[in-house]
Amino acid sequence: MAAKPRVAIFDFTGCEGCELNQLNFENQLLDMLEHVDIVEWREAMDDRPGEYDIAFVEGSLSTPDCIKRINEIRRRAKVLVAVGACAVQGGINGMKNTQPIEEVREEVYGKDKYLFPTLPALPLSAVVKVDVNVRGCPMTQMEFLKVFTALVMGKKPVEPTSAVCVECKLKENECVYEKGMICLGPVTRGGCDAHCPSFGQYCTGCRGMVPEPNLKAMEEILVKHGLSVNEAWKRLHLYNTHELEGLKS
Amino acid sequence: MELKFLASDRVEAFVSYIMQKKTVYAPQRAGKHSVALKKVADPGAVVLDYARTMQSVKKFFLPPRDELLQFNLADQSFAPAEVKPLDAVLLGIHSYDRAAIDRLDYNFSQGHAERNYLTRREGVVWVGVSFEPDEFHFSGSVGIRPHDTEGFDVFLTRARDGYLVEVLTNAGRELTAGFDLPATDQAKPQPGHFHQHIFLPQAKLNEVMGASYNNPVWEETAEKCVGCGSCNIVCPTCYCFNVEENVDIKVSGGTRERIWDGCMLREFTEVAGGEVFRGGLAERQRHRVMRKFKYLSDKTGHPWCVGCGRCTAYCTAGISIVSIVNRCISDYEKHAATAV
Repeated sequence: MAAKPRVAIFDFTGCEGCELNQLNFENQLLDMLEHVDIVEWREAMDDRPGEYDIAFVEGSLSTPDCIKRINEIRRRAKVLVAVGACAVQGGINGMKNTQPIEEVREEVYGKDKYLFPTLPALPLSAVVKVDVNVRGCPMTQMEFLKVFTALVMGKKPVEPTSAVCVECKLKENECVYEKGMICLGPVTRGGCDAHCPSFGQYCTGCRGMVPEPNLKAMEEILVKHGLSVNEAWKRLHLYNTHELEGLKS
Repeated sequence: MELKFLASDRVEAFVSYIMQKKTVYAPQRAGKHSVALKKVADPGAVVLDYARTMQSVKKFFLPPRDELLQFNLADQSFAPAEVKPLDAVLLGIHSYDRAAIDRLDYNFSQGHAERNYLTRREGVVWVGVSFEPDEFHFSGSVGIRPHDTEGFDVFLTRARDGYLVEVLTNAGRELTAGFDLPATDQAKPQPGHFHQHIFLPQAKLNEVMGASYNNPVWEETAEKCVGCGSCNIVCPTCYCFNVEENVDIKVSGGTRERIWDGCMLREFTEVAGGEVFRGGLAERQRHRVMRKFKYLSDKTGHPWCVGCGRCTAYCTAGISIVSIVNRCISDYEKHAATAV
């Protein structure tokens, strides 16, 4: 076998929940390490600079320093994988993008705000080329393993694009709309095995919108079911502000 | 046909009795408003009076995820997955779902016969039950009535205080032998009326649909559609699939799986190189409806829709396949009238 792929793991603005999820592969972690050398991972080891075959990156970009770092990571990495909603879509952090940036800065840092330059929260793909996305908040573990194995084998991983509804119907979940709740499943990418609706919850849209979402039809669905379009719109912004702002302009 | 009687309060005993002979799958409560076909553990849980299950009996012969083979990367070998006949009683099945299986039998035995599906199809004893058409059923328009017994071994028709039982085949006689079903002189009641109708029979629909390729209904429907693919996934005659290979984390081997797919989904229409050959929801919707009322019926003479109403009942946007087809019919007739 050729030399093991060199893997690096980085984090930007986020809760580090996705990284924690990577450490939670208790049954698979040793097998994974058979196939790769982890050369950089702040969450689990001291920093060591180098070149990487695969870089897994969590978090959104929200400071000028983030932009510098992601460009540097991109320069060193052969394959760049965005991990989790923050890295893929800008995530929850993106909610600040609809508010005046100076107000947000003052709210968070108060009188010391001049020490902390800030930017609208961006997904990695807004600044650098992203090769693979592992979606979800936190990232879906099974999907991460699939992507990991595909990359180790030198294959292009498959990214699911179909709506959450597909997985609900496969599992014969009673439709969340029939329960009188707003659900973002019809316009949200699946691949999560409809995890939230399967446990009595509604879809919060964490995996991002389907390609070319028909949001007008989504509004009609809400109206048809007597649900608040306004409330649904707010929920859609929870994980998708960056993309929705893009659709507006 | 001699009719026998199964009183409502003896249904549970009947289910217990047939459970001693074979595994039984039947509709059971699956949520506040829904029923699903599941293996019976508690005979009291069987629900015979229901509108429709979200998934049809198709799922037993063509599971949503079906392992096709296991492969070993070290020695480059593979072994096909072991597939067994279902060998069970399917109880409480509606006539349109039985008719859907006839269509799938055709699909999977044409050309290269498909081993997994055809193997699982073996050993099934079909016990049908009549249904009361609700606001979505329209199977009468495709020639399938609520009391149709075709393809069943035993058929239960809902009557006052119980069911009229027809034992139709040897397999049916074997299954019911030994359970006391008294003869009755009650006549089979008239089936309930449908509330939804397609205005033309299939013989004429082939031509109508053939002329409807550029009908504005496809674009209009696309405006209301989110493209979630629910209509495909709940359809009892949709059989399209994707094939996926999953390598285990040791990178020593893995499995090849067949997963349900649907023509309303973007991934389905995407080919190598990233080209999407039915890019819009209008084209996809048209393809879906044409597959039911034109392409396969041109070939076989039968619509590939059985009128169960699932695609409409489970569409969050409320898109109705009956309305689409009727719109094509009325536009066709209008056009024919002005052409004369």
